[in-house]
Amino acid sequence: MDEMLKKLKYLFAPKSVAIVGGSPVPNKIGNVLMKNLIDGKFMGKIYAVNPKYTEVLGVPCFPRVTELPKAVDCVIIATPAETVPGILEDCGQKGVKGAIVLSGGFEEVGRNDLAQMMKDISKKYKLPVIGPNCLGIFNPYTRLDSIFLPMYKLQRPGPGGIAFITQSGAVGSTVVDLAAHYGMGVSKFISYGNGTVLTECDLLEFLENDKETSIVILYLEGVKDGRRLLEWMKKVNRKKPIVALKAGKFGKAMAAARSHTGNIAGNYMAYKAAFRQAKVTEADDLVELFDFVKIFDQPMPSGNRVGVITNGGGMGVLTADAINDQGMEIADFSNESKEAIKKILPSYGSVGNPLDLVADSGVESYKKAIDVMMNDQNIDSLAIVVLTQTLPIDERIIGVLSEANDLRKKPILTISVGGDYTEAYRRAFESKGVPSFNSPLSAIKALKRLTDYAAWRNKNSD
Amino acid sequence: MIEDFRLLEKNGFRLLPYKLVTDEGSAAAAAKVMEYPVALKVVSEDISHKSDIGGVKIRIRDEAALRLAFREIMENVKGHKVDGILVQKMARKGIELIIGGKKDAQFGHMVVLGLGGVYVEIFRDVTARICPVTDDDVKEMVEELKSHPLLVGARGEKPIDMKALRKMVLGVCTFIMKEDIKELDLNPVIFDEKGGDVVDVRFTR
Repeated sequence: MDEMLKKLKYLFAPKSVAIVGGSPVPNKIGNVLMKNLIDGKFMGKIYAVNPKYTEVLGVPCFPRVTELPKAVDCVIIATPAETVPGILEDCGQKGVKGAIVLSGGFEEVGRNDLAQMMKDISKKYKLPVIGPNCLGIFNPYTRLDSIFLPMYKLQRPGPGGIAFITQSGAVGSTVVDLAAHYGMGVSKFISYGNGTVLTECDLLEFLENDKETSIVILYLEGVKDGRRLLEWMKKVNRKKPIVALKAGKFGKAMAAARSHTGNIAGNYMAYKAAFRQAKVTEADDLVELFDFVKIFDQPMPSGNRVGVITNGGGMGVLTADAINDQGMEIADFSNESKEAIKKILPSYGSVGNPLDLVADSGVESYKKAIDVMMNDQNIDSLAIVVLTQTLPIDERIIGVLSEANDLRKKPILTISVGGDYTEAYRRAFESKGVPSFNSPLSAIKALKRLTDYAAWRNKNSD
Repeated sequence: MIEDFRLLEKNGFRLLPYKLVTDEGSAAAAAKVMEYPVALKVVSEDISHKSDIGGVKIRIRDEAALRLAFREIMENVKGHKVDGILVQKMARKGIELIIGGKKDAQFGHMVVLGLGGVYVEIFRDVTARICPVTDDDVKEMVEELKSHPLLVGARGEKPIDMKALRKMVLGVCTFIMKEDIKELDLNPVIFDEKGGDVVDVRFTR
């Protein structure tokens, strides 16, 4: 496995790639793949493999992998399942470094024989194989892209620190699209499908030391070796936070009424137990997944005391409620902070947490208040409510928040509730790396996860 | 059933005092040794729901009541193959917990802790960990339970013996892994400040 994992880096950053089944015929998968690489500006050489053509979309085409002018780093296969073992054999003989098999028609339809052949060939040549039955890899850094969905239908995110490991292609592609939409940076997207050769554990092992990855999202339906998964989650999560989403939680077992351990403890309970043991942050749905992921980009807080700034009293109260609800603490300002805050507030304002800057306050008050809280030892993280509907708030707030965020001193988040106008602000905050939420509870829930993770990591750091 | 009890005892679990008897006289003698109140339970491979057919009598306070209960049970279970009657000391008042184990197809052995007895189904207040577990894991499991406040002494009650609870959860992990048990239920286990007693056991290999 070691040698295979070493070769895996070529799959993410190949100098050359060949598309088996590359085709000039519009809307064929082999055509979409070629187009995505060409139009997506893949940073390497592209070949097509297809006996019908000598050239596809201006790219040289060869009848077989063995007839390529040289061994490529990565071969992407999207031909019918029956043809896959033969092509992999060709890859092995040619000395190809790795393969991505997008084709379906293996274990998922009972063709374990084909899957076994795939395993055998991979083992023989120590050939890393992603798939089958998947979307494969997207790497924004090298623009390697085996997602066979056109770019106009599915946006690709830019480079960043989030790696995404997913079994499902459908959920995977949705997340890619949303990540691009929210302006989140991705290090690697890996849809591994049946995981016949390389599983989520191998991918975690690879990502543990991947320089571009700082956060790992894990979307699981079912795994083969739970114990190995637990070990790798434990190992990787110590270095890079993992946020997991498990699908298929409710089996028949949950409906059973008898009070025996076997019935109370369905298979999901084992996953949940494993997440807790590895201190992996579990999200309950896709919305939570994004909420959690965006806050894990923040610096680690040193405690659970939250400072709240708001320009609307009610929203401050809702935020304070959320803090209580999530078992976090509303920070007590230091005396120096209290003095400093008095100078910021208008005569009728009062010092307290949540700190209500009142609706007439402008961007300057935010800047000062954030500055005070950043320097207060009694505050571990900042929840900043920005009601963009008020008159004094203008786009300068984006710069103020972005500057505070760039200090990387304490985690900050913003809460802005509203319609299209507010939504534009939220997008602007997020484009600067400031996590923004449209509800106090979802914001504080995410902050709580980050705080719990930070507490655990502090306790267990060597 | 008795084999299950013995195997557990051999593995360091504390069970309520019990004795398997086949006649009324021995039942009375056993009850005298373990002190009243006691319970009588029919032991039979045939009968899965002992109490449904009147095979269980609890809170028996003296010998006269015991002899009467013994006869009643024998009458109720007529026609079934009976291995004997279990005389078991009544548990002290305390909190009923369930401590269970299971072998999951993907994760292997796991241990489950929750509020036991009749509440298992209603509240489903249970949490689990993959075996083996550490002392810290068990501590977290206890804290994760919604009934955690009950365990640490709500409304002036004394907190239960946490050390004993942790030992039992760790013990279940060790036991199910060593004996490769498919499924185990210690339910209920009655806990109070003086420790925990296993009242009923069920497992499949």
